[in-house]
Amino acid sequence: MRLINPKVMFTFIKKEFRQISRTREMMFLIFVAPLFQLLVLGFTVTNEVKHVKLYIEDRDNSHLSHQLYRSFTSTDRFDLVSNTREQKPKELISDWKAQVILTIPRGFGKDLSLGRKPALQISADGIDGNTAAVALNYAQGVIATFISAELNVSGKLPANSPLLTLQPPQVETLDRMWFNEDLNSAQYMIPGIIVILVTIISMMISAMSLVKEKEIGTLEQLLVTPAGKGELLLGKLIPYWLISLFEIVVVTIAAHFIFHIHFAGNALALGLMAAIYLLTTMGLGILVSTFTNTQQQAMFFTWFMMVYMLLLSGLFVPIQNMPIAIKRLTLINPMSYFLTITREIIIKGSGLKYLWKEGLVLFVYGIAVFTASLIKFRKTS
Amino acid sequence: MNNRIPAIMLKEVNHIFRDPRTLLIVFIMPILQLIIFGYAMNMEVKAVKLAVYDFSNSTGSKELIRDFSASGTFEISYPETPVSQVEQLFYSRKCSTVLIIPQSFEQDKIHLRKTQVQLLIDASDPNAATLIKAYCSGVIGRYNKLENISPIDIRTNIMYNPDLKSAYFFVPGLVAMILVMISALLTSIAITREKELGTMEQILVSPIQGYEIVIGKVLPYILLALMDALFILAIGMTLFGVPFRGSFAVFSACTLLYVLTALSLGLLISTIAKSQQAAMMMAIMITMLPTMMLSGFIFPIASMPKLLQLVTYIVPAKYYLQIIRGIMLKGNNFQQLLQPMLALCIMTLTMLTLAVKRFSLRLK
Repeated sequence: MRLINPKVMFTFIKKEFRQISRTREMMFLIFVAPLFQLLVLGFTVTNEVKHVKLYIEDRDNSHLSHQLYRSFTSTDRFDLVSNTREQKPKELISDWKAQVILTIPRGFGKDLSLGRKPALQISADGIDGNTAAVALNYAQGVIATFISAELNVSGKLPANSPLLTLQPPQVETLDRMWFNEDLNSAQYMIPGIIVILVTIISMMISAMSLVKEKEIGTLEQLLVTPAGKGELLLGKLIPYWLISLFEIVVVTIAAHFIFHIHFAGNALALGLMAAIYLLTTMGLGILVSTFTNTQQQAMFFTWFMMVYMLLLSGLFVPIQNMPIAIKRLTLINPMSYFLTITREIIIKGSGLKYLWKEGLVLFVYGIAVFTASLIKFRKTS
Repeated sequence: MNNRIPAIMLKEVNHIFRDPRTLLIVFIMPILQLIIFGYAMNMEVKAVKLAVYDFSNSTGSKELIRDFSASGTFEISYPETPVSQVEQLFYSRKCSTVLIIPQSFEQDKIHLRKTQVQLLIDASDPNAATLIKAYCSGVIGRYNKLENISPIDIRTNIMYNPDLKSAYFFVPGLVAMILVMISALLTSIAITREKELGTMEQILVSPIQGYEIVIGKVLPYILLALMDALFILAIGMTLFGVPFRGSFAVFSACTLLYVLTALSLGLLISTIAKSQQAAMMMAIMITMLPTMMLSGFIFPIASMPKLLQLVTYIVPAKYYLQIIRGIMLKGNNFQQLLQPMLALCIMTLTMLTLAVKRFSLRLK
């Protein structure tokens, strides 16, 4: 084993950059695609449920039922749909025209003001379980608001109405939402999207560019030159490492302007952590390139790993909600540590003293994977 | 004449089998995904870490704390950190919610005065924060004995999926995704590969016709895609009990149509992309990403901004998802699904025409 000759390595880096800049597709994929993905993911990845199609079947047609109807129009959670073809309400759900149906029974207004506890029926399309659960929650919230609004105008109610005997609650809560007061979903999701983009670029493109040389046969040519494997590998990886770091900066700045993300923490701390994390992803990229022979295989393997790293990272589903067996799997996922770090730094502005454990895991991971991949690469090619 | 197509098919099948790892991934990936989505996709928040500062330390406040712990959703702790530095609890992720009970709590209660408890919620995850707030309001509502006096009785009824199982939602989605992945992604790469390696020219100078190459190359992938889709369906139905309420014949017809749409997309990509790398990236950007993000597979279309909602109209998976969910879960019939089927037909025809035009241009 000999030391790395910086001059040779530098030549390789120059070659790689030249190759990237010459391939129009690569330029597009490295610089335009991530912004495109940021836009698509940024606008779609949300747990918010809005514009649920609601049909209100008002069999009562009284003042109170109209009042209730109106309280559902004042929120963007629900879009009221009309029943143009006079279908049965249940058919509206089976025909995809409505997702939730609220049935106000005949005599609702009268029963309510007389304290006979009328029943409201809410039917929901349960196919999308999350939307259904959230929509039901919202609907109950709207009804609760309706009740308390009726309490305030109780002057109109008959004197014996039970609404008058309702007492305001004794214990009240004063809520404060920390770190994200307006509950902006993008603030939570964008850091995760930055993590995805960086992982894709660093892992997939580094694996594929190595395998490409193998496939076309230029890797053999490079290996018979006096340049060592270490120089070759570093010359391949440093450009992508730099590009990935650059990408983080661009995407974060773009996210700030497009989605009004508030960057609470220290950008340098995030950069440091990202530089460490990239060791792992690029190491995985090299590993994949050692046991695959075509770009198609390499692409497939990295994609495969990406999907699992993504699913087990806590990006879509909070890790604490997962069953214990799957929770353990997330412990071996480097992406979940980096995701935690990125979120804590961007959203809360946590300092590194609260994140050193995750950072340490990433560091150990990075060194281990990178060394393993170097050894494997030396042996195989 | 016609045995050329089988010959090319055989060659392509050999290609597929020579690389068993890719094949394995194609079959194992959706299953693992299914398991993770089926078991882990749970938006409900459990085990909320609640830190309590009880300055009242009275029977009343203890009763309230007991109500919180009895609800089963909260893990209660009494932190040492002084209340003035409460943000440290959030930074170190020791808790996600802080409940502060004031000293005057018991006195207020005795004198039937209103009393305020403070609730600080780590809202980094807005969805979790909203749910936590709702749980807390629920506990406090019960403490206030609100329920007994609610003047309206709300009855809820959830159709098609009363237990709100996430597998019902994801099994059809995964089928849609795997079909696109194999038909569009693998095909476009397989064709571009021959172009990149120069073997396409060799095939083109042989007496084989352009359409024979395409059909021969594409058919094995169609079969693979359909087998994989059936496999996922079978597992979803046995492992997670996902029902199949509609007609299998209609389902098969629609699935074939959808595969055709995805294939024409794959062909179109392969006529544009010059290298496998480009084909793969294009396939991911215009097939995988939209199929996952813009079809309603995970995230509801209605929650997206208007402009993106317009884009979803040209995502084939959006229509196929309505078809497959409609047939499997709602038992929709042919007539109810005419609209999405028509959309798929139009898309297939457009893309196929474009692809054929570009492909024949390349032959010259």
